[in-house]
Amino acid sequence: MNLEDRILEIMREVFEMEDVSTTASQKNCERWDSLHHLTLASEIEDSFDIDLEPEEIAEMTDFSRVVEMVKSKL
Amino acid sequence: MSTYVFRNQTIEAFLGDDGVAYSGYGDISMVPGDVDRYIWFYQVPVNADANQLAQEITAYIDQLDLVLSGIDTAKPFIIFSLVNLFPLRLTGDEVAVDEAIAAFNSHAMRLSQQRPGVKWVDFSEFTSHYDAATLVDWKYYMMSQSLLNPKLKRDFKSWWQRIEEEMALRRMKCLVLDLDNTLWGGVLGEDGVDGIQLGGDYPGKAYSYWQRALKQLAADGVILAVCSKNNEADVQEAWEKNPAMVLKREHFSALRINWQDKATNMRELAQELNIGLDSMVFLDDNPAERELIRQMLPQVEVPEFPAKPYQLMPFFKDLVGKYFRIYAVTDEDRAKNKQYQANALRQAEQSRFTDFDDYLYSLDISIDVIPADEHNLPRIAQMTQKTNQFNLTTRRYAEDQVNRLIDSGWHICCMAVSDRFGDSGITGTIFLEPVDDITLNIDTMLLSCRILGKGIEEAFFKTVLNLMRLDGYRKLTASYLPTAKNGQTADFYDRMGMTCVSKEDDGTKHYEMMLNTVFEIKNCYNIRVL
Repeated sequence: MNLEDRILEIMREVFEMEDVSTTASQKNCERWDSLHHLTLASEIEDSFDIDLEPEEIAEMTDFSRVVEMVKSKL
Repeated sequence: MSTYVFRNQTIEAFLGDDGVAYSGYGDISMVPGDVDRYIWFYQVPVNADANQLAQEITAYIDQLDLVLSGIDTAKPFIIFSLVNLFPLRLTGDEVAVDEAIAAFNSHAMRLSQQRPGVKWVDFSEFTSHYDAATLVDWKYYMMSQSLLNPKLKRDFKSWWQRIEEEMALRRMKCLVLDLDNTLWGGVLGEDGVDGIQLGGDYPGKAYSYWQRALKQLAADGVILAVCSKNNEADVQEAWEKNPAMVLKREHFSALRINWQDKATNMRELAQELNIGLDSMVFLDDNPAERELIRQMLPQVEVPEFPAKPYQLMPFFKDLVGKYFRIYAVTDEDRAKNKQYQANALRQAEQSRFTDFDDYLYSLDISIDVIPADEHNLPRIAQMTQKTNQFNLTTRRYAEDQVNRLIDSGWHICCMAVSDRFGDSGITGTIFLEPVDDITLNIDTMLLSCRILGKGIEEAFFKTVLNLMRLDGYRKLTASYLPTAKNGQTADFYDRMGMTCVSKEDDGTKHYEMMLNTVFEIKNCYNIRVL
C-alpha cells in the first residue's frame, strides 16, 4: 500500500467512515473535528513511527497537508 | 445501551462515542434521566499547589453524592477509582493529595457496597501496567485535555471490554472444590495426613495462602463445597489432625467425598444446597474431571486450574473477579433497594448540599467582566475561532476584525472566571452591535466548555445586559444559528426570557426582548465589572 492509501485507511478508521476522499479537509468533513484530529495525529505518529510537533499537527488541516507532513518526516 | 459519562477531562478516545454522551468538564449541572447507565470517570487534575488540588479532589466526593441523589438507584452507575497519573512531589511530603484520592476511592467503594446500582472499577488495574512516561503524553495533554495518553486507547478498550464482560456476568453462589492437588499438594491416600504439602516452605506455603483466601471468600458469603474422590475418613482425619489445615469441616456447607462420578455428585450438591447448577463453579486439577463436568453439566462454570502452586494467588484474584465480585444487580440487591431508598432519603437531609445553588455557592465562583482591550483581544478572537459547543452563532473573527468592530462602536467584552480550585482565565465573550440608539443585537455570545454547568453563562449574560440598560439601551435582539455542535445552546435565549419571533427551516431562531427591568442574578457568584 502506498503512503496516500495508508493515510486514507487511517482516516477511515479514525473518523469511522466508509469512505474518505483525497479532498477531505477539516472544513468539509464533519467527523474531522478537533477531537478526531488529535486521534488522527496520534495514529499517524504510531503508524509511521514519526513525531509530530503541536504546531505541525495544527497545520495538517486537509488530506494533502497530512500527506506532505508525513513525507517530510520520513 | 446508552451511557452518560461524568468526566473532567477529554476521554472520548477511550470510551468512544457509540451511544455515549459526555458531560462538560466537571459539569454536574445536567443529569439526564433517559439513559441506561452512568459512568463517573474523573482524572486527578494537574496542579502544582498540593493543598488546592487536595481540596478539589475532596470536593468530588460531594459532587458525586449530589449527582447520585438525583439518579434512579436501580440504574447502573459505574465509578472509576481516581489514579494520580502525574504525582508531583515537590517536597516529598504532599500527603494531602494522596489522602484526598484515598478518601474519594474509599467513598466510592463504600457506595458500591451500600447502593445497589453503584459499581466500583479499580482503574489502577489498568494504569499499573505502564510507567509514568507511557501513561501521560504531555504533548497531547497540552493540545487537548487528556492526561491519559491517547496511544493507550487500544489497550484501554480491550481492558474495558473485559471489565464490562465481568460486570455482565452473574454472580456465582457456590465454589465446589476438589481436594488432592487442589486444596493441598499431593494425594492424601498415598502421602498420609502429615505427608501432604500444606504449610511450611513452598509448595506447602502456596496452598496455605490459597486456603486462607478461600476461607475469606466463604466469610464474604460464597458457599464452599467439596467434591472429591477420597476416603471420607482420611479427609476427616486430615481436617482434625493436620495443624496447617486452614479450611476445615465447618467451612464447607456440603460434602461429596466418595468414588461416585463427579457429575452425579454435582447434581446432588445443587439439590442439597437448593441452588441452581448455573450458580456453581467447579474447581479440579484433573483435566479429565473438568471435561466431564463441561460435557455433562454445561450450566456449571469450569475454569482451568493453574499448573503450578505459585500461580494460585493470581488465579484466586481472577476467580473472584470473574465469578464472585458483586457487579451485576442481583435479586438481593433489588431487595436491598427499598431499604436503601429509605436511607437515601435520610442521608439527603443530612448531606452537605440541599440543592444545586448550595453547591454553586460552595465553589466560591468569581466572574470578572472585562471590556475588550489590547491585552485580551487575541484571546477573544481565538475563542471565536475555536469555540464550538456553547456558541450561539459560531461566527469566526480574526483579531483585526474584532478591532474594527470595536472602532465602529460595538460593545465587546469578555469574562475571566475563577473558583476556589483555581483560575480558568478568560473563558467567554459577548459581541453587542448597536442597531439604533436604544437597540442592541447580540452578534456573538460564547463560553468555553471548561466552565459550563455552573450557570456562569446566565450570570454573564445578565450582568452585561444590566450594564447596557444603564447605558440607555431598551431593546435586545438575538439569533441562534444551529450547527452540528451547538445544540446545547438551542434554548438559551428562551431560558433568558427572550421571545422567539421567527424560526427558519434550518432551525435558526430569532429573538427579541425589551430591556425594561433589571435582570436578577443568583447570589452564588462574586461578580466584578472592570
